[in-house]
Amino acid sequence: MSSLAQHPEGGMLLRYLDGELPGRKARQIERHLEACWQCRTEIEALQATVADCMRYRKNVLRPLLPEPPSAWRDLSRGFAEIDAQQAAPRFAPGWLKWGMAAAAAMVAVSAVVYQLGFTPSVRAASLLHKAVAAAERQPAAPHEIRIRTMGQTLLRTVDRRHGEPALPVALAARFEAAHYDVSNPLSPRSFATWREGLSGRHDEVTTVADPESPSQNCYRIETVADAGDIASATLMLRSSDFAPVESMFQFRDRDWVEFSDITGSPVRSNDSPVAVNPETPLRPAVPSRSAAAAPRPAASVTDELQVLSALHQIGADLGDQLEIKIAGDRVAVNGVAIPPARQRQIQNALAGLPRVALQFSDPSTEAALHEPQEPLPPAAAVPRAVPPDAGIQLRLEQQLGGQSELERFSSRILDLNDSAMSRVYALRSLALRFPAAGESALTAADRATLHQMARQHLAALASQVNTMQHALDPVLQAVGASTAAQHAAAPTDDWQSSAEEVFRTSRRVEVLLSDLLGVASTATPSASLPSDLFNALAELQASIDRCRNQVAR
Amino acid sequence: MSAYSIGEQFVGILRQDRTGSPLQELVSQLFTEAREDVYRYLLTLGLHPPRAQEAVQEVFLRLYASLKKGEQIQNPRAWIFRVAHNHGLKIRARQHNEEPFDPALEARLSAPAETAEHVLLERERMQAFHQAVESLSEQQKRCLFLRMEGMRYPEIGAALGISPSAVGEFLRRAMVRLRKVRDE
Repeated sequence: MSSLAQHPEGGMLLRYLDGELPGRKARQIERHLEACWQCRTEIEALQATVADCMRYRKNVLRPLLPEPPSAWRDLSRGFAEIDAQQAAPRFAPGWLKWGMAAAAAMVAVSAVVYQLGFTPSVRAASLLHKAVAAAERQPAAPHEIRIRTMGQTLLRTVDRRHGEPALPVALAARFEAAHYDVSNPLSPRSFATWREGLSGRHDEVTTVADPESPSQNCYRIETVADAGDIASATLMLRSSDFAPVESMFQFRDRDWVEFSDITGSPVRSNDSPVAVNPETPLRPAVPSRSAAAAPRPAASVTDELQVLSALHQIGADLGDQLEIKIAGDRVAVNGVAIPPARQRQIQNALAGLPRVALQFSDPSTEAALHEPQEPLPPAAAVPRAVPPDAGIQLRLEQQLGGQSELERFSSRILDLNDSAMSRVYALRSLALRFPAAGESALTAADRATLHQMARQHLAALASQVNTMQHALDPVLQAVGASTAAQHAAAPTDDWQSSAEEVFRTSRRVEVLLSDLLGVASTATPSASLPSDLFNALAELQASIDRCRNQVAR
Repeated sequence: MSAYSIGEQFVGILRQDRTGSPLQELVSQLFTEAREDVYRYLLTLGLHPPRAQEAVQEVFLRLYASLKKGEQIQNPRAWIFRVAHNHGLKIRARQHNEEPFDPALEARLSAPAETAEHVLLERERMQAFHQAVESLSEQQKRCLFLRMEGMRYPEIGAALGISPSAVGEFLRRAMVRLRKVRDE
């Protein structure tokens, strides 16, 4: 870039202004700017546009967007609830839907409870009391109940005038042994009686959308029992009339059953969105789903896996903005900012699948994600204003044989890291979408499909990391890297936990790489950087191996 | 101390004490400083004001819960926006039978006002700028709004699930379009 004719390309100047270029590249641009009036003018125009943006934020967004409708609340009560909840151990996550939803709801529950102004226990008791009274006021009309268990879905009619519903014998026996009156599985009174009989319990009350009519809310009461056959039970009451719409039970052995009132509604969707669902947010393109284990009335996990697999075949799980979720009898695939050519590929890939609703939004999209891009630094930690210690870069430069060699080396490594991170994110998305606890509910074929995708990601990842190690290790050793004793990795029970470990380790590699190549910095002292990166790469490879072994099991 | 600078102190305190009130104080402080920004961001995402406000409070409580559990969060502001973005999308997805919130900024910007000429000129400029912002693709807008909140490319990438290079590309395209307003 020493020649004036070679002006920085594309968004290089914006990246430069934003401090997103590696130190070396930034210094090149600086040198170019000293000599080039044209690019200096460009920089000024960019700065002016940046200033426009900030004026827009200050003069339009701030004053013209509506103020919050109510005063901000003090968070201290929410903090106290969280402190209390974290201090009290909860049941081990077992059954996918409730386990995850309950664990996930822990934090946000406090906000809801705070708004309601009561402790969860008082709130639960109060709601149940109202529901019992409301149920007794209701005429004894028959109700259609859908029963879901791990292995089957049944429909039964509950009619108080004609005795108990014909539950499967084994199921009825389970409830009997647990001292739960299941003559009406949705009865608030049964729930309240069971709850009051518990020696130790923990309640949570949240507000969720009614699974049948999402515009309406339901109270969701979840009671976790310290002892007894039923580990936890959940009852959902329609907030308008306290009518029970769904009850769910998890037994200690992780078996579960769900009852839904489907009177007048042939299909009550199972995937009721929990209004407070604080699971760790991830890549929005592939959101995690907390109800994978439960069978679905229409589109199933099998359909979902077929869609995921078809998209995986064309690499659409490696960065395309696709949201995939089960919506009624379809697997909805929503693409955002997908260029037309790529849209056609995705359409073709999904063409053979019957239950897909494919939609692309943002028709004005530009092919940003698929245009050839100049090699750029990958994800990194918070970039710092001060460039990293030049000593390490000088040593690297000497080792590699000059500045241009180091440039090439950096670009290659960063490209490899970008590709590897795409795999890591895709693998993690799968792990979150299909947690270990829900795998037993998948059919063998579904499990095979899932594992095959995970294996393919892991194989590609292992190869990419291996290539990075081959390129980096000799250089790192030459600049002083020494092998440290590997930290003993915490044993994991399943490939999903190992995938999370792969994610954590790969992020560490990414941050260290960014430091080494001058993109960003953490608090890592530069003297230990070569060793840290060397060892982090070895740990990453080891974590990939562990995960591969577990998927293969 | 601004919300932009709070991160380092956060990590420092966390290393010392995860259980005491300093953590609550810091989350409260960040809440006070950043809640309006997060709230407005959620409005731009299409959340209705009451839901946006509720979501903001929830996000900060989640931050507290995560920190209490020992999660290492280098930049809490970036974390908050990432969580708010994802949580906001989920809330918006649940509002499928409801129109996304439209703040009708254009109408407000074009409302007649008796003000000095230079103010009117600026207002006209901002109106044109707003139209240009509205014409951006959804991803360009998200990148731009998050960048305006001080997020770095990797942080924006983490929130939107795209690579930092793609963030750079979206931002470049956004800036090209917005610059035209000034040039016209």
